[in-house]
Amino acid sequence: MRLLLNGNEAAAHAARLARVEVLASYPITPAAPVMEKITQFIAEGTMRCNFVRVESDHSAMAAALGATMAGARSFLITNSQGLAYMSEVLYHTSGLRQPVVMAVVNRALAAPHSRFPEHGDVVAQETSGWIQIFCENNQEVLDSIIQAFRLGEDEQVRLPVMVNYEGYIQSHTRETVDMPEQEKIDAFLPLVRRPVLDVDNPLAVNTVTGPELYMDYKYHQDAALQRAGTLLGEISEAYGAVTGRNWGGAVTGYRLEDAEVVLVTMGSLVSTARIAVDALRAAGEKAGLLKIRLFRPFPAEAVREMLKPARAVVALDKNIVYGAGGALGRELRAALYGFTNVPVYSYILGLGGRDVGVEDLTAIYRQVNEGLAAGKFPALYQWYGL
Amino acid sequence: MEVYKTLAEIPQDELFTGGHGGCRGCGAALAVRQAMKALGPRTIINIPASCMATIGGSGLTTAWMVPFYHSLFECAPAVASGIRAALDIQGIKDVNVVSWAGDAGTADIGFQALTGAAERQENIIHVCYDNETYMNTGGQAGSVTPYQAVTPDTPTGKPTPRKDMLAIMAAHRPAYLATASVAYPLDLIQKFQKAKAIQGFRYIHILAPCFRGWGIREDQTVQLARMAVECGLWQLYEEVDGRRRVTVIPERRIPVREYLKLQGRFKNIDEATVAALQAEADRRFREVQS
Repeated sequence: MRLLLNGNEAAAHAARLARVEVLASYPITPAAPVMEKITQFIAEGTMRCNFVRVESDHSAMAAALGATMAGARSFLITNSQGLAYMSEVLYHTSGLRQPVVMAVVNRALAAPHSRFPEHGDVVAQETSGWIQIFCENNQEVLDSIIQAFRLGEDEQVRLPVMVNYEGYIQSHTRETVDMPEQEKIDAFLPLVRRPVLDVDNPLAVNTVTGPELYMDYKYHQDAALQRAGTLLGEISEAYGAVTGRNWGGAVTGYRLEDAEVVLVTMGSLVSTARIAVDALRAAGEKAGLLKIRLFRPFPAEAVREMLKPARAVVALDKNIVYGAGGALGRELRAALYGFTNVPVYSYILGLGGRDVGVEDLTAIYRQVNEGLAAGKFPALYQWYGL
Repeated sequence: MEVYKTLAEIPQDELFTGGHGGCRGCGAALAVRQAMKALGPRTIINIPASCMATIGGSGLTTAWMVPFYHSLFECAPAVASGIRAALDIQGIKDVNVVSWAGDAGTADIGFQALTGAAERQENIIHVCYDNETYMNTGGQAGSVTPYQAVTPDTPTGKPTPRKDMLAIMAAHRPAYLATASVAYPLDLIQKFQKAKAIQGFRYIHILAPCFRGWGIREDQTVQLARMAVECGLWQLYEEVDGRRRVTVIPERRIPVREYLKLQGRFKNIDEATVAALQAEADRRFREVQS
């Protein structure tokens, strides 16, 4: 069934199809409509789910964590200030290996106050231990949320997952979205209960841990996160077999075969960059695109492999790690260092909802080409569109 | 509803066992041990940052015989709300869900999640074990620390009166509200039995002295907890549907001064304050008699 849905509606339908049992959320712009849609599903009786009407994002994360620990499939939504506010609970959720899934409708962090999109909110949580998936359109939002439950709940992973899409650009823009049949999703995503808080099997959870054990817990947590990177590819394939849509694993390439200058980005900018690459190709340029679907764990090995033939890499970052540059630019340099001498051009753009169009990306492409021709070493990072 | 009539009826089984990490004479550990006699094995407990969060579990050992989660400081009632939502959707109806916090996890940093859960009338029990200071970090003053109490960060005495958490919680109209004291175990256990039998949001506030914070000897915990009731500064009561019933009228009454003078933390207290506290205690006793 094909419907015209905005990103928030797609996320709500994904939660319904995934048979989410507990929703704990606090309204925040522009994510609140997901919560409204799910409470509507509950009221209509099309979704069997308990909604915990918490008083804050901190409590939302705490309630979702509690619910998952007690054996329920749990979901929540947030972004921006709400995500920052729940930060310490994010670390509890990943440290306790609880597969909560959260839709993050990316929005800039204050100050100055902004309601508009960028990736700064979620990049700020890059060390939280959550799996972070980015979506380029509303169909991918729906599909990725369903896949996120299977990924996070996998026994080899057992970690929480953030599924990211941008405020307004995706959350409030309608696109055609194919709705998979419930039976197919049920078969793809069976409910397996693994409560850690169970009166029939009492455990003490999160006891004070000394230096003789803490680091080992962290090692296993990191190893599980790394496994998620590999597993996402398998899960995407399995999902493709069921629905006909395979978004690829952690990273996918577009027109990379003989590409000399490769644009690398994530989120809604991927769609824009794909059109820009087509336009550049039509003009005789050897342009390519690398779509980062999985930001955490960062797919460094796949990126190395796929960027081997490139003469230049262009990181397009809708975030700024102050004083250090864009998160993608930094990750790409770290991944490529020692394997290739290819220059990484790092651009900061689109912050706080500033528009980025096809013409901006082609302009950046030409700037990079000029830089290459001049043989100049690229700057650590540069701002575009001020 | 069945409640134990005598101490002899209370089960011998311990759900919070020996070997925990509390100090000798720890009022908080006493409170938990007593409460668990009523709550029983079908209980899930989560405790935010506090002495109690560490006393019962450290490394790979635990004194808890029920599922225990050491949660974050601000959000034990929210965690409990999530646990309840998860149990409900699975059709599990016979499990008590408890958030058990100290006075900071209840009245200060934990207050937002508490008032949220209370307003939603979550089907959980929130317990405040109150030692009137932040003892887990060395005894600093909090919002329920009494007026003029000397603490590490109020070295000349706390300049403001104790926040009235019971009035605040009563204003949420909980399904059950009670005060308790570790010096009156039968009363405490009966209140947990009653709370357990009621659906909805339940709030129990236990006076659980900390000998270190109060400047008393470790063998004086129970004595001081009893004297607080005997002098009238701590009243034992319960409220259902907004109607208050005093559950213990002490056999002997003592002056407030006698309770205060045993405690190192009140060494700077002035006469006017003592007189005001005595007047408050007298008023409470008159209310019970009328």
